[in-house]
Amino acid sequence: MIEILSTGALATVQDLGRAGALRWGVGTAGAMDPLALAAGNILLGNDEGAAGVEVPVFPFRVRFGADTALAITGADVDARLDEQPLLPWVAVQARAGQVLHLSLPRRGAVWPASRAYLCLAGGVDVPAVLGSRSTQLRGAFGGLDGRALRQGDTLRAGAADRQPLAGLGLVPPALAMPLQVDGLPAVRVLPAAEYTHYTEASRAAFWAEPWKITAQSDRYGYRLDGRPLEALAAIEMRSHGIVPGVIQVPPGGQPIVQMRDAQPSGGYPKLGTVIEADLWRLGQAPVGSRVRFVECDWDSALAALAETRRWLDEVHRLVGLQRLQRG
Amino acid sequence: MSSLHAAQIEQIAAWLAATDIGLLELRGPGQMLLLRHDGAGVEVVDVVQTDGAAAPAAPVLHTVNAPSVGVFLHRHPLREDTLAAPGSAVRAGQALGLLQVGLLLLPVLAPADATVLELLVAHGTVVGYGTQLFALQGAAPHGPRT
Repeated sequence: MIEILSTGALATVQDLGRAGALRWGVGTAGAMDPLALAAGNILLGNDEGAAGVEVPVFPFRVRFGADTALAITGADVDARLDEQPLLPWVAVQARAGQVLHLSLPRRGAVWPASRAYLCLAGGVDVPAVLGSRSTQLRGAFGGLDGRALRQGDTLRAGAADRQPLAGLGLVPPALAMPLQVDGLPAVRVLPAAEYTHYTEASRAAFWAEPWKITAQSDRYGYRLDGRPLEALAAIEMRSHGIVPGVIQVPPGGQPIVQMRDAQPSGGYPKLGTVIEADLWRLGQAPVGSRVRFVECDWDSALAALAETRRWLDEVHRLVGLQRLQRG
Repeated sequence: MSSLHAAQIEQIAAWLAATDIGLLELRGPGQMLLLRHDGAGVEVVDVVQTDGAAAPAAPVLHTVNAPSVGVFLHRHPLREDTLAAPGSAVRAGQALGLLQVGLLLLPVLAPADATVLELLVAHGTVVGYGTQLFALQGAAPHGPRT
């Protein structure tokens, strides 16, 4: 059991998302950086899709009510267990009574990232709703009572399947699978249905110029700031189904990228879609930072997803070998 | 072993130079000697005078060896600060460095509370099992904790 001693806004319980519920108008939710959550779970011997706590605002402190193995993945937040500094992306054994402290993500870090994941051996045990433990903020269900965590909340960890490998760490995927353009984090984008409705100059600028992530960015979507996108003619559309990653263009021409808490339908024209394999990169990009978009096609989008899968499979394999070696 | 003369240390260094031993640690009641042989020459890493048998708690020089084959890292790949710089005090069980094996990072742990004397292998070097990575000065690795 862990007790939340202090939290900023919007720390939530998340797993890899509520897949398959869009047909009922229920968005996917789930970790903004699913690779970080899955990796933390593998380090602890959990299923990849076990629930953890996504922490976007710091400081964040929890007290352990029982001996628990944990891993902090995602952004490097200078985690401390009591006074002991912890390395990022490493499994650690906490004893009952110890306090875990997460600080602001490091500025000017090797990998600028904004969200940390607290993974527990056994996973965070909240009831699964529609097949997922992710917090669905809009519908106020899933996670802990369908809401963000508050001071005084307690979360139980499920039964741990396997012996945790304390001290074992991982090279974060941002380093193992880097993607940058001109020194800025980049994400790959598939052109979408209304792509050709924008001027050639606008389309060229979309790929060639950096886009700033504005303060109006959260789990629902990222509002970007850059050279406004100009439509060839006014576009009127009916609402239609959308998914996380879709880049919408409201009349002002500043795009919005739908993120994990996106509503399942929208009526703005779609310029493109950030590919599923790169959503974690955008999910970690801090407010105020700039990103670049790289045009890609269907085959390379699938290849990128396969590369991500290979990375996770390799982590599984290597962690499994360590488990064998340590007996 | 009574205190070594400079000439004796020189002789030992010459013997060491003729071998493929990388590090020689010689402990006696009055003195401890640490010599490093990098293939090109022999360097005296440290000579520590102690009070001999009268002071059993005297600092001990010891080395920390690679627990596995891997790429030795002085710092975490997300960070720019060295985990255990020379001169820093470290606690038993603290990660002094990391061995990267594919995507895995294995910690190289301090065997006891100690002071780091030297990092014996450069950041990013491929090392074999048992390669000496750190020279530490502190309590004996398996001695009683104080």
